[in-house]
Amino acid sequence: MPSEIPNRSWPWVAIGVSVAVALTLAMISPADAVQGDLVRIMYVHVPAAWLAYLAFAVTLVCSAGYLFTKNLRWDRLAASSAAIGVYFTGLAIALGMIWARPTWGVWWTWDARLTLTAIMFFVYVGYLALRRTTADPRTRAGRAAVLGIVGAVQIPLVHFSVVWWRTLHQPASILRPDGPAIQDPIMRWALLAGVIAFSVIYTSLMVKRVELHRLNDAIHLAERGEARPVAGASVAAPNLDEGARDV
Amino acid sequence: MIAATVIELRDIGVTAGSTPILRGVDLSVGGGEIVGLFGANGAGKTTLLRVIATLLRPADGRGTVLGADLFGDERYEVRHRIGMIGHIPGLYPELTLGENLRFAARVAGIPSDQVEESLQAVGLLGAIDRQAGASSHGMQRRAEFARELMIERDLLLLDEPHAALDQDAVELVNGLVGKIAANGGAAILVSHDRDRVTAVADRSVELVDGSLR
Amino acid sequence: MWVTIPFGAMALLLIPLAIGTDAVLLERIGPGLYWVIVMLFGVLVSVGRASVETGAQRDASSLLGLDPAAGYVGRSISAAGLLIVFELVVGAVAVVLYGFDLIGIPWLAATLIIVAAGLGLLGSLAASLVGSGSAGSALVPLLVAPLSIPLLLGATQAYEGLRLGDSILPWMLLMAAVVLVAAIAGVLTARPLQES
Repeated sequence: MPSEIPNRSWPWVAIGVSVAVALTLAMISPADAVQGDLVRIMYVHVPAAWLAYLAFAVTLVCSAGYLFTKNLRWDRLAASSAAIGVYFTGLAIALGMIWARPTWGVWWTWDARLTLTAIMFFVYVGYLALRRTTADPRTRAGRAAVLGIVGAVQIPLVHFSVVWWRTLHQPASILRPDGPAIQDPIMRWALLAGVIAFSVIYTSLMVKRVELHRLNDAIHLAERGEARPVAGASVAAPNLDEGARDV
Repeated sequence: MIAATVIELRDIGVTAGSTPILRGVDLSVGGGEIVGLFGANGAGKTTLLRVIATLLRPADGRGTVLGADLFGDERYEVRHRIGMIGHIPGLYPELTLGENLRFAARVAGIPSDQVEESLQAVGLLGAIDRQAGASSHGMQRRAEFARELMIERDLLLLDEPHAALDQDAVELVNGLVGKIAANGGAAILVSHDRDRVTAVADRSVELVDGSLR
Repeated sequence: MWVTIPFGAMALLLIPLAIGTDAVLLERIGPGLYWVIVMLFGVLVSVGRASVETGAQRDASSLLGLDPAAGYVGRSISAAGLLIVFELVVGAVAVVLYGFDLIGIPWLAATLIIVAAGLGLLGSLAASLVGSGSAGSALVPLLVAPLSIPLLLGATQAYEGLRLGDSILPWMLLMAAVVLVAAIAGVLTARPLQES
């Protein structure tokens, strides 16, 4: 068992390069006719949101994988992806709010996608909270897997309900939650670069987190095998009557 | 039809979080055997009983109970043949003793006229309409024994079977255990009362530090 | 129940104290507030039901041959029954305090039943996931709330639809879908979840 998390260098290089490219493109891309420089938040906000949804999809698949194979590796993947998904979702929401305030004059709007994103945030916060309350790895894996699947399966229903709800209560036309239509090619490249950079970050974080979980489980396994500290009376020689004393 | 081996456990291990409770437990119990299980508090006796009852899935090892693999789906099929009375009563406190037994009979598919018979046998017929939650610990245990009398079990697991019971009730318990053994089943009695248990058991095992000696 | 119903009624009383007693406004938001109270407080009812069974009791039922899936359905039904009582009593309080009309009683009754079923199933499933222990019991409402949003939206929009004379069938079907998904999930996972 390795004594430390191996510090490979390729993730840092990849992150560095992809972030540098994305940042550069974001900076040199033209300002929007309406929003001005505020549009640049989109190059971080949109990739964060896409990766968040991807992360939760990975959690769904890996939860199913665990329930089918009972291999803890799937559970580690599911848990790592869910945690990263929660961070990305929080980031996307926060950036969206920062963008919305000067643009629309409000911190929040009840458009369907934003509302759904906020709901998903809470579903997976609940997932992480559930994992935290269960100590035994196998029990935890099973319960989390069930929630990971039930939560994800209910999401389409939640999505439909929120979309229908919003179509009945149309937001003011000045608010365009879809954001600006992207015409400029450099803007498209900047967005793509942002998605790639975030994907690299997601992958690197996944690698590290899965390794961290694996080491945690290995420690847990090793502790189980060690001699338990002896406690008082249980050491006393058994004082049984005559009569067979065998296993 | 009971096989010759009622319980077969090999290298069973159970943990709670990172604390090992059972470690490398081997146990073999054949039809007709009554086994006494001793050990200090916290040694893991109740956990071992729950594993044998197929209610707790072990982390390690392999084993069969009444022919069903502890790790397979067959374990659900044999549960109705296993009776267990723990030291915490498993009755619903809002229901009366009679209602509790009628519920058990209903779920187990037994005619409910056996309820009165069984309560009579344990001397509780007069308390049939008494709320379980308002009954003493000893009465609740006797009601659980009545339940086990009613249902034909092939394996009986008893945690502190003689506690809070008078001599008549103790003989009743021994009689029940003996009857199951005579029919080819088996019983495991967990207790601190070595004298009473060794009087009725064929052999004894000791749980020390998570393993059987 | 004797605690949760007064608590829910109390919440309905507190809201106008906080936001003002403008009768027109209260009549407008009354139905929505009622359903939010049902969602949040109703979960407490279904958790109470689901967790009132101790480990020893559950062991005893298992050894009688009770299939865990049957146990799950039974707990959900009992939770739903209690929820219907909760909904009716708190609903009466809401109508009195907020003054909105009861339109389309048969549809409203169907809504009450479907929401009770959905919350009962989701609550029992969440309670099985969380297991026993006081640390977990606050977690159940957190798990149930986001997943029960289709029930909330369906119930409120159904009432709005009845008020405006629109078709409310899509909302009823949506809520029924939630109930179906929860039931299937709960039954399929009942055995694996019973393990420890």
